[in-house]
This record gives sequence, structure tokens and C-alpha cells, in this order.
Amino acid sequence: MKKTMKPVTVSLLAMSLLSACGNNSGSNAATDDGGNAASGEKVKIEFFQNKTEAKATFDKLVAQFNAANPDIVVSQINPPDAETVLKTRAAKQDLPDVIGLGATDTYKTLSASGLFEDFTGDTLVSSIQPAYVKMLNDLTGSSELNGIPFSANASGVIYNKAMFKEAGVAVPTTWDEFIAAAQKFKDSGKYAFYLTLKDSWTSLTPFNSLEPSILGTDFFKKRTEGSVTFSDSFREIAEKQLKLTEFAQKDIFGKGYNDGNTAFAKGESAMYLQGVWAIPEIMKANPSLELGVFPFPATNDPAKNKVISGVDTLLTISKESKHKEEAKKFVEFLLQPENVTTYITEQKAFPAVKGVTQNDPAMDGFKEAFTSGNLADFADHYIPGAMKVDTIIQSFLNKKDIDAYLKQLDTEWDKVANRK
Amino acid sequence: MAKRRAAFYLMTIPALLLFFAFHTFPALQGIYYAFTNWDGYSDSFDYVGFKNFINIFKDENVLNSYLFTFKYAIATTVLINIISLLIALGLNAKIKAKNFFRGVYFLPNILSVLIVGFIFNYLFSNVFPVWGEKLGSDFLSQNILGNSDWAWIGIVIVAVWQGIAYNTILYLAGLQTIPHDLYEASNLDGASRWREFWSITFPLLASFFTINMVLAMKGGLMVFDQIIALTGGGPGRSTQSIALLIYTGGFQGGEFAYQSANAVIYFIVIVVISALQLKFLQKREMDL
Repeated sequence: MKKTMKPVTVSLLAMSLLSACGNNSGSNAATDDGGNAASGEKVKIEFFQNKTEAKATFDKLVAQFNAANPDIVVSQINPPDAETVLKTRAAKQDLPDVIGLGATDTYKTLSASGLFEDFTGDTLVSSIQPAYVKMLNDLTGSSELNGIPFSANASGVIYNKAMFKEAGVAVPTTWDEFIAAAQKFKDSGKYAFYLTLKDSWTSLTPFNSLEPSILGTDFFKKRTEGSVTFSDSFREIAEKQLKLTEFAQKDIFGKGYNDGNTAFAKGESAMYLQGVWAIPEIMKANPSLELGVFPFPATNDPAKNKVISGVDTLLTISKESKHKEEAKKFVEFLLQPENVTTYITEQKAFPAVKGVTQNDPAMDGFKEAFTSGNLADFADHYIPGAMKVDTIIQSFLNKKDIDAYLKQLDTEWDKVANRK
Repeated sequence: MAKRRAAFYLMTIPALLLFFAFHTFPALQGIYYAFTNWDGYSDSFDYVGFKNFINIFKDENVLNSYLFTFKYAIATTVLINIISLLIALGLNAKIKAKNFFRGVYFLPNILSVLIVGFIFNYLFSNVFPVWGEKLGSDFLSQNILGNSDWAWIGIVIVAVWQGIAYNTILYLAGLQTIPHDLYEASNLDGASRWREFWSITFPLLASFFTINMVLAMKGGLMVFDQIIALTGGGPGRSTQSIALLIYTGGFQGGEFAYQSANAVIYFIVIVVISALQLKFLQKREMDL
């Protein structure tokens, strides 16, 4: 989701232009001749998913499925800027059979338009952790379940274990300890954080960690009803997010997500405010790096500091699909514990399926939150996409004017609501 | 005669039909959607009248993107035309390896805008700041694209770097149409180089000047790829062009109808500007 969308959007857009012909012929082959199953031909299923990082893993799983099911051919489609592609395909009424998508605003709007199958009460759902099912229902605000959670991510703070040991800093559990640790790194001439605000979406990771622990995502429901405003409630979040910029490198608006992954991997900062999706990229840049994770200490009460975890990939089937049975068979296959294990091991994700666990020691810092359920969803999933909240935060951190920022959040929210 | 006319109709009518089907019809559809509240993917939508248009005039993001786009378009148009005219004059003179230089200057036009953008994006964030640091300048040691006041200059630099190639070619072609005897005559009269340029070269290039100005301005007003590759519209919304706003708001933000209305207004603006430019610059041509 996050990680797939913006940072790679741009780079992949270029590639998509170069390889447009290839993509088109691929997807046409998969969609054109459905409905020939009766004549003994293979049923072709399109599996569309939005995570570039997961392409190779899904390729492997798809190959296994195709080998086990000689009469079905699943082909994976993983275009750049997948959510936009999906929306345009929805407009053309040409949705892929099986869709893998994050629980984002796109999922919310598309399922509100009634484009996905209803899985309420489906036997497949019984194997899924109820918390994630609830997350989807909370997001859409409807009792209908239009997707099956497959994997979850987690976001908080990634830290460099060697640098913490060297500086004699313990893992902070409260906001004050967090800032004290950051100050200690700053005093010794090191950067506590490496901020990558050239890519506006990265401004959302601290925002998403602060908001649910301080206010709770119920806020957005109340904001829609009109009983609260950003100006009344968001000051602490704004102040804390602004505070973090004091402990980062000089050119925070000049560096992007990819620069940040490399810089953190090379030990340029002690902490990195990203989710687990960044870990495979960081390890690529420096395989010997010893890193750990801990929940973002948003408040001074450790019990309130949640790990931010959203449905990273949910699986759903298009209502218009001509081969629902085969599509469902594929979804069932992906949800089998051994396949989920393959996926989460390679992707450093967390399983949404019961009975599977993420055992990577690097993730130990998040484990407790997962067992106790001290989790919260990404706050930005509750904010309409048209608001472009990431650019609003980016420009606030640039101008450092808290009052103007809070006012802008209110006016933009109302403006988007009025246009509906 | 009638037979010949039939042949012409056979040539133009298929083209007309194709043009209508793939150009005019979608444009009309866009205008239709501008009066609805369609989000771009739902099954149903309602007719909302002029609501979208009224909201556009209330939206300061739209105003901001207009300001940015005009600032950018005027800067690139002026710079591209001055620089490419200078280069064309140089390339038209009697210099050694003329064809080699012409090739070199045309090269940027062959590369894709996006690829050029990504290369410059890397240079701006990882190479130029290092040079700036060596020079000891605080301002130059940061990525210009990350500065909300100056990011637009970065985009102008890239656009001009790439844009001059095409306009240079047009000016070169124009320069070749000027008869040599005019220069010979002015030489005999003892005219200075400067006088020669203002009294002979520039007036005779007038029609090329017009077309280059209109093309550069239109390109500047429709800027999109450079921004995608360099800043994505940021920091904040400081480099968000109108085309980018229409794309991101319409497709990513799920406000298809609202941004259709924006596109309709934008279309009218571009038509008016191009018409004014042509009218004004062509008058200058006639006068000479």
C-alpha cells in the first residue's frame, strides 16, 4: 500500500511508458477470451495486486497454483500506480477477477460503489483474525465485507541497534524518553532521524503513528458529523510532529524515500520513522545492518502507544467476474497457512490468517503489541484522498505554522465534503 | 474534376470520423461529466448543474496551480526563445563541425521527458548539493526541489534544457530561408552585426518567432511530465500545475467530475491565450 504507491509511482510511470506495449498485450490476453472454459480450454484469471515489492513472491505462488490446477491459468498484473489504474479500470467496467489491494481510501470508495463480491459470513472469513475484519468494516462503515484480509503491515520506529548500544540509549517507551534519546544523538553530533520529506507521503508515517495513540481514529467520524474540528483537537499531534524535524539531517525536504532507505542502512541516523515495508529495501542496501523496531512512543503512557497496523493486502473478487468459482479457488489457495507463511517471510509482513506467526527476530519489538492487540489503523485511511493530506503536512513542516496548518485541515476537509 | 473531388473526400472523411470518435467525442463527454458529480468509477451519478464550476472558483488550490503554471510558462517561453535563438545564430554561422554541434544540441529532444526528469532529480538531490557544499554556500548545498519557494526554478531549468533543442531547429530552419544577398548588401553599406540582426535577421524570422512563442507557451501551460518526475507537485502544492491537479484530483482523489469542470475552464483559457498570442504576434509580422 503506502510503500508501493507514491515512491515508486513516479519511477514506474517511466517504465510503464517504456513497456506499455508489453503490459497491454499481457492484460488483453488475460481478459479477452474468458468464457471458453466449456470448450475444454483453460480458464484465465487475472490477479491484480498493488505491491511492487511482492511481485516475485506472488509470481511464485501463482506458479504453484497453476501447476496444481491444470485447467486454470492465473496471471499476475502489477502495474505502477496500481490504485489509479484500478480506478480507471473500474470506470471502464473492466475489473480484474481477483484483486489484491491495501485497505485504503481506494478500497473504501470502490466497495461503496458495489464493485466487489460480498464475503459476509463466507467460510473463508472464519480463518481470519477478527480484528482485521473489523478494520475493514470500520473503514467502509458498512456491515458488508467486500474483501478478505490477507496480510498486515506494522509501522512505528525502526532503529539501528549498534548505534543505540554505542550511545548507551535504551529503547524509549514514552514521548519524553523518545525526545531525550533523540537529543542525546543530536548532542553527540549524530542525526536521530532521517526524514525524507521530498516524497510527501513519508510525512504520513509519523502522523499515522501520532494520531491514533493521541486521539483515536474515531475523531474522523466525529469530524464528519461536525462535532469536532482539527483546530480543537490536533494541536498536540502537530506540535509533536514538528518537534521531530529538529533532530533530523539538514536537507529534510531534499531527500526522498529511496535516499532515506540507503542513508539509514549506512548508519546515517539512529532511527527511521517508517513501517516494516521499508525493511527489505534497507537490508538490500546493507545486509549486515542490525536493526530492530519499537512502537512509536506518541504519548507518555506506554500502554497508550499503539503499533500502527493496517490490512496491507486484502483479497477480493470482482462482482462482474465471469469465473467466480475459479477466482475463489485461487483466493482459497492464497489463504492456506503454508502460502501465507511464504508470503510473510519474504515480505516481512504480518499474517491476517489465524495460526500463522511472523517469527523474524527483527520484528520482536512489535510482537507484544500484536499479541495484546494494542494496534491501531492508519489514520490517513479515514481522510478523503482528494484532500491530499500528505502535501498539507509536508507544507506545514516546511512553513512551521501550526495555526495555519490546523485551519487548512479544516477548510480542506469541508471543501472536499461540499463537493460530494 | 468531380472525380478528383471524390478522391479528396475519401481522404478527409475517414480522418474526420476518427478525429471525431477519438478526440471530439471524448472532449464532449468530459464537458458533460463536468455537470455531474461522478467520482470516476461508480455506477450512478447525479446532475449537479454549475456546482463544480462554482466550487472551482472557491478553491484556492486551483488558483495556486494557475499562478504556478503561468509563472512557469512565461519563464520557460522567454528563456527557451532567447537561448534557442542565440544557439541557432551560432549554429548558422560559418563554424567548424557545424553538423556535429547541431546533433549535440538536438539530442535532449530525443530523450523522454520523464527520463530527463529522473536524471535531473538525482542530480538535484545528490550531486549539486555536494558541489554547493564545496563552494561553502548554504543555499546551494540543499536540494532546490525541496524548497517551496525555489522548486519551480528547478523545473524551469530542466524544461529549458530540454525545450531549446526543438526550438533551435525551428529557428535554424528559419535562418536558412533568409537570402544571403541581403547580408552582402548590408555589408557593403557597412552595417554592424547588431544592426544586421535587428534590421534583417529578426524581422525576417518573425513567422518562426510567432510559432516558437506559441508552441513554447502551450507546452509550458500543459506542463505535467517534468513535475511528475521532479517534485510530484511538492513541496506542499507549490509546484502543482493545472494539468497535474486535474490528474491527481480526478483519478487519485476520486473527483472526476469536479476536475472535468476544471479541465473545461482550462481548455478555454488555453484557447484564448493561444488566439491572443497569434493575433498579437502575427500583426507584428504583417507590419514588416
